[in-house]
Amino acid sequence: MRKPYIQRQRADWWLRNPGYRRYMLREATALPLFLYTLLLMSGLYQFTRGEAAFLAWLELLRSPWLLALHALALAAALFHAVTWIALVPKILVIDTDRLRVSPETIKRAHQAGAVICNIGLLLLAVLLLGTAGGH
Amino acid sequence: MRRSHEPIAWSLFGAGGMLLAFIGPGLVLTTALLPWLAAEDPQAAHAAIGALLAHPLGKLLVLACIALPLFHTLHRIYHGLHDLHLRAPRLPMQLLCYGGATLLSGVTAWWLLTSIPA
Repeated sequence: MRKPYIQRQRADWWLRNPGYRRYMLREATALPLFLYTLLLMSGLYQFTRGEAAFLAWLELLRSPWLLALHALALAAALFHAVTWIALVPKILVIDTDRLRVSPETIKRAHQAGAVICNIGLLLLAVLLLGTAGGH
Repeated sequence: MRRSHEPIAWSLFGAGGMLLAFIGPGLVLTTALLPWLAAEDPQAAHAAIGALLAHPLGKLLVLACIALPLFHTLHRIYHGLHDLHLRAPRLPMQLLCYGGATLLSGVTAWWLLTSIPA
């Protein structure tokens, strides 16, 4: 009869090693980002209900709780972005006879792209909404 | 052998992770500042967002910004619960996480396609 060996693992296995703690922190970024996505969905839903409902949702975003969620989501998104891009060279390997790109170059290119996209989105939003009817 | 859900789940997780890395922080900052950005003329801000949502490409963009992060975060939460030894039967948990992400994405697509005044 088969008698499989089962490696026992304590539930707090990740607490005792800094690498494992960082891993769990990285995985935990999903929680605030999930809640933030639900907040985006609620905004879209209020938009479908008409202008008054959407403007009320916009005012709701000033509440301390939702600002706290935004702060948490921002920290999570930043930590996610850094750790995610650090892993890109492990998955995107360009190493053929015709084309070779070093892992460091792949990482740097993604970092530059992410910085440009994030700042670009923010600038676009500030320009389009901030001056939407101001002049 | 039973077919694994992993290739599809991981593709959507990967796409969501890439999207969140490239525009996540910028998007969060934008919605955090939104009430203040729109304060001067809320109606105009509403119209600007309406113009984005009325355009097919805008709809696709907004759907991507909601659906892919849903699949990304629920994939991590599904595996994170396992890591924390909060173990539940596999099938109900998969239904809840991946089914939930699918359902919420479907609802979002439905709102975008049927409920946005052109």
